[in-house]
Amino acid sequence: MSDDATAPKKSGLTPPKVLGIFALAMINVAAVLSIRNFPSMAIYGWSCIGWYLIGTVLFLIPLSLAGAELATMLTDKGGGVYAWCNEAFGTKGGFVAIFCEWSNNLVWFPTVLSFIAATLAFALSPALGSNSIYLFTVMMIAFWGTTAIAYFGENVSAKFQNYGVILGSIIPSVLIIGLGIWWIASGAAIVLPPFSLGEIVPTIDLSTLPFFATIILLFAGMEMAGFHALETRNPESDFPKAMALSAVIIFICTVLATLAIAFVIPADELNLAAGVMQAIEYFFTALNIPQAIAPMAVLITIGGVVSLAAWLIGPAKGLGVVAQQGNLPPLFNRTNKYGSPVAVLLIQALIGSFISLLYVFLPSVNQAYWILSAMTVELLCIVYLLVFASLIKLRYSKPDAIRPFRIPGGIPGVWFIGGMGAFAVIFAFIVGLMPTGDFSSNEAVSYVIGVLLGTFVLAVPPLIFLKMKKPGWIETGTKEE
Amino acid sequence: MKNEDGTAWAVIIILILIFMLPICWILLAMTTEPYHVVSGEPLRDAAQAAGITVVSTADSTWPVAGAMGGKTYTLSDENGNIYTIRTQKFDSAESRDAGVIAYNAQSVGRGRPVGKLIVVGNYLVYVQPFTSGILARIAPELQQYKAG
Repeated sequence: MSDDATAPKKSGLTPPKVLGIFALAMINVAAVLSIRNFPSMAIYGWSCIGWYLIGTVLFLIPLSLAGAELATMLTDKGGGVYAWCNEAFGTKGGFVAIFCEWSNNLVWFPTVLSFIAATLAFALSPALGSNSIYLFTVMMIAFWGTTAIAYFGENVSAKFQNYGVILGSIIPSVLIIGLGIWWIASGAAIVLPPFSLGEIVPTIDLSTLPFFATIILLFAGMEMAGFHALETRNPESDFPKAMALSAVIIFICTVLATLAIAFVIPADELNLAAGVMQAIEYFFTALNIPQAIAPMAVLITIGGVVSLAAWLIGPAKGLGVVAQQGNLPPLFNRTNKYGSPVAVLLIQALIGSFISLLYVFLPSVNQAYWILSAMTVELLCIVYLLVFASLIKLRYSKPDAIRPFRIPGGIPGVWFIGGMGAFAVIFAFIVGLMPTGDFSSNEAVSYVIGVLLGTFVLAVPPLIFLKMKKPGWIETGTKEE
Repeated sequence: MKNEDGTAWAVIIILILIFMLPICWILLAMTTEPYHVVSGEPLRDAAQAAGITVVSTADSTWPVAGAMGGKTYTLSDENGNIYTIRTQKFDSAESRDAGVIAYNAQSVGRGRPVGKLIVVGNYLVYVQPFTSGILARIAPELQQYKAG
């Protein structure tokens, strides 16, 4: 059953093959490359290199390789993560994986939406950043705007991603890197201590363990291109190249831009509580180009919107494929003439809007936000664990399947790569449960229970839906005109 | 058909509940931090009560709406470890809460922000990184200022 389970059945429309290597790579770059990371990691100085290497070796490389092998193996199946895990573990495994990624998104959306609104406020008038009405309005414009882009199908989404990621992520990154090089070349003092190999080794002890979860998932999103397999012109050859291209762009931009900021801004001046734009403001003021701050804020806002779009569209497409296979009621299988899963997009937008409403208008519950962010980490860990497990399982269950890209090293090689990735996310899951020192003992118990319970509640609904499944669900998909 | 519609609605209701229930539970279980004016320097007092030395302070005003000024503290414990903690007071609950939202928006990747924010009355106290060992020592001392 799983051989044919995720092939497109009956929406009545063959998806247009519009994506090539560059477009696929830009989907991943949009999902992963984030200017927000640079000032946050710059406080670690030279040791940010060590932290980035840990994330790259333990997660970025394994996920890129796993994504390349699984995507090229299953190019005729839509659904990305769903297709991969479904092929390995059947419908339950696939459905749980994609549902965890989708529900992780819904909890995460308010975070990126508020970042978009706050960053735009910096360009317009910083006072707006404390206005709840402004925040919510901009959040909804961004959210429903990207939903509308997803509504118009792959062609529109791909163009939006291609231009948006260049404007909003790559240009700002290159600009920061260029200005950092100019800073050094002009003879200005670098605020970091002299470089030595010892400087790049991060401090790893009990107190820094929880940070591992952050580092491991720093590069989460490299699987986003996999959701677009059916719209790719030459998936067998394009996917590995796109994964490699996106990984290189992400790594280089991230490390160099972080170092550029670390060279210019002393760590004790990096007040991240005031937002990433404060660091950008300091950076450009130190370089005597304060007039660049507002345009940079606009570019970073665009980058935030593009990142939102990449994460919004991918898992929704995956859930649409779940519905196509008859695992959700026919209502969820509604697609429009562009092939977009409109019911899933609409439900996603409604739930996300309500969560955003609570996020903005409820009185501040700081610890609650911390728990919600922990839940997003735990849910993503489940997704990636299933992906790495699928990579390994399929080498045994389908050893003769055609794999245009195959992780080298045979079975030991795939165990090494998949095992390393799985170990990293299991470790991230465990340390993600560790409360920080400001939780009282009662709050610490509530924290752990809240994270585990919330993660469980958001992970298991597929098992309930599969119990409710009816044979008629697979026959009655609908397409809007 | 009626049965199918009923099942579809059941799925939608389940979907809504599974997101609302844990999120609402978390929001209700973790107590809201009340806004009230805390006089003096709560961070300095908490550090001293925890046996941590305040090495130096510097005035700072965060570039966020409603920020009324605060201090950047350089602290040292008995082992010579140096920590930097920032405080900032806000003129209203709304501006303070907006600061919390802005901070939570600075997540690294799909994870968390690097530092940890503690809400103490009209103050926001920022400790970086969130793994800092000083949190466990300072936070209990700050508890007395939280309720108002």
